[in-house]
Amino acid sequence: MTMSNKRTDTMPEGSRPMDKTINRRDFLKLSAVSVAVAAGTRVVTSSKASSAAPKGKHRWAMVIDQSKCVGCEYCTLACQAHNDINPDIQWNRVIEAGKIGNKPVFVPRPCMHCEKAPCVEVCPVKASYYRDDGIVMMDYDRCIGCRYCQIACPYDARSFNWEAFTGENPAVPEWGYPGIERRPRGVPEKCSFCYQTIDRGLALGLTPGVDREATPACVNICPTGARMFGDLNDPESNVSKALRDNPSYRLREDLGTEPRVYYLPAVHTEEA
Amino acid sequence: MLKKLLTPWSAWLTFLGIIMLGGLAAGIMVFWKGLSITHLTDRVPWGLWITIDLSSIALGAGAFSLCAGVYLFGLKRYQPIARTATFVGLICYTMATLALILDIGRPERFWHSLVYWNTHSLLWEVTMCVVLYLTVLVFETMPIIANLEWLRRRFPRLTSLMEHVHHYAPFLAIVGLGLSSLHQSSLGATYGVIKARPFWFKPEMSVLFMLSAIVGGISLTLFVSMLSSRLTSKARVNDVLVERLAQFVGYLLIGYFYFRAWDALATTYTYDPGRTEGLHFLTKGPFAFNFWIVEMLLGVVVPMILLLYRPTRINRFWRMVALLFVAVGVVAFRWDTNLTGQLVLMPILAGQAITYTSYQPSIVEILTGAAILAYGLGAFSLGVKYLRVVDHSLLETKQEMIQVETPEPVTA
Repeated sequence: MTMSNKRTDTMPEGSRPMDKTINRRDFLKLSAVSVAVAAGTRVVTSSKASSAAPKGKHRWAMVIDQSKCVGCEYCTLACQAHNDINPDIQWNRVIEAGKIGNKPVFVPRPCMHCEKAPCVEVCPVKASYYRDDGIVMMDYDRCIGCRYCQIACPYDARSFNWEAFTGENPAVPEWGYPGIERRPRGVPEKCSFCYQTIDRGLALGLTPGVDREATPACVNICPTGARMFGDLNDPESNVSKALRDNPSYRLREDLGTEPRVYYLPAVHTEEA
Repeated sequence: MLKKLLTPWSAWLTFLGIIMLGGLAAGIMVFWKGLSITHLTDRVPWGLWITIDLSSIALGAGAFSLCAGVYLFGLKRYQPIARTATFVGLICYTMATLALILDIGRPERFWHSLVYWNTHSLLWEVTMCVVLYLTVLVFETMPIIANLEWLRRRFPRLTSLMEHVHHYAPFLAIVGLGLSSLHQSSLGATYGVIKARPFWFKPEMSVLFMLSAIVGGISLTLFVSMLSSRLTSKARVNDVLVERLAQFVGYLLIGYFYFRAWDALATTYTYDPGRTEGLHFLTKGPFAFNFWIVEMLLGVVVPMILLLYRPTRINRFWRMVALLFVAVGVVAFRWDTNLTGQLVLMPILAGQAITYTSYQPSIVEILTGAAILAYGLGAFSLGVKYLRVVDHSLLETKQEMIQVETPEPVTA
């Protein structure tokens, strides 16, 4: 499914031509068709509820426990494979932030999916936009490539496609299979919380963060379980619980961007 | 035969033509190979082209400032200079458009900003204003284009219609003033709203961009007018008018100097991480020469003295030097501002050290940039020769007289 038809859900229009054919059919065919339409409608409306959820139904967030992160960069590799990313670009970068004792501390940095995202504010064409579930999305078909979003992003989360990615992806198949199209030359790209996995999982009735089939690749691959993903609107989700029970922080909170990626600091286990 | 062909005029056009051809080749390379052949990076995504874009728009500001002066504030006698400024403005804005088309990653989608509006985006506002103002400039230059001898003979009715646009000049001046005030200052705000880059993040960016644009725009118009009057008999300037305006630029420079110095000194007030480093980068680091010598000394202080001290202002050479320096100083201001904000890298973690990066434009960026400049110079030269864009003996009344002389008489 491409980005553009994600944005405009065409269920009502899609059913109209069918109504016309119904008029020309006899009663038996009509009933058969109407059953099919009803069945189709149910499938589509349930998938619609996932991709265009009423505002605030889900509020996806990621929690990264720095005390568990060992800096293996599996998350980056899984991300490269599942999102078919040019090896020159990293949506998820693992940064070494320093040492506590002899133990290095890492900051894995995906897109923060800010509640008040500077990139969405500055984009002249609304190619960066908020989904109802809080994911900051890129419409790669609309972007003009001005790179103002890169200028504005405080987290360095965006990478520009200076050239088209045409070669083989070295992370495939070892680290996974691509679930989305490659981005064209001339647009910036960034982490999308694996929206394709979330949407598909929800359509199948799964819960992102609980069921692997509905959870971002970086969370699934993490060998130490340092990453959690879930819905902040659900007080019983693993992320809500983790944030309730542990001290946490977000990157550059002073900027007021309200990131949706939370970090549990590395020290909290040593103190405990 | 060869000697006849090799006039300074033909040599000048050939020279510009070669530069434009080089730039055309480089431009085709950019569209073909993509931006990977530039030295732009994810760290420094805005480089030389953005500077050309910003500088062109700033130096095109003479058009709206002088048109406002002539048609709104009643300074009628400066009308011939406003005429030149309008033409310079049109050239500058088309130069900016050329630079932008090269700079964006998907040039074929340039129209998206006109269709998909994000009214929160400063860049959207700037794009809309620039497009609308370019339209205003086209209307404003119509009476000038109507001076083209060939067009007059071939389409007399069209040219008289184009000249008629002149009667709407005051309305165009109002629209132009509004649109220019918006986008000239918003170009500063484009940087000023970026909280991630503390060196830029301040409200005075808009004021500084606006003020420097007015100062630089008027200076460039006066400079090219004086220069062409020295080089060709096709250009005639009224030196009294030019000198008066040059003095006005001198006074404006005092105000600009005050704001600029205050802005630089006040940068240290907050001790925000990144902001003081930016100031150090500018005043003590790699841009120190640009800042102290090109921007402040040659761009502001020296021309301020040259233009306010009567003997040097009366002297045409020193006046020209001063006016050129002002324009160059504004370009340096745009270059330094754009790059300083990007080269000082803020850490994503609080307490981590600030790092620095560097940027040098690549050969394709320089070639295309030079070609855009050559296009501007060429267009202005042709304007001087064929459209009499620098002719201060040409007043409104005279223009109307010329109109009567056209083969097809205008029916009142």
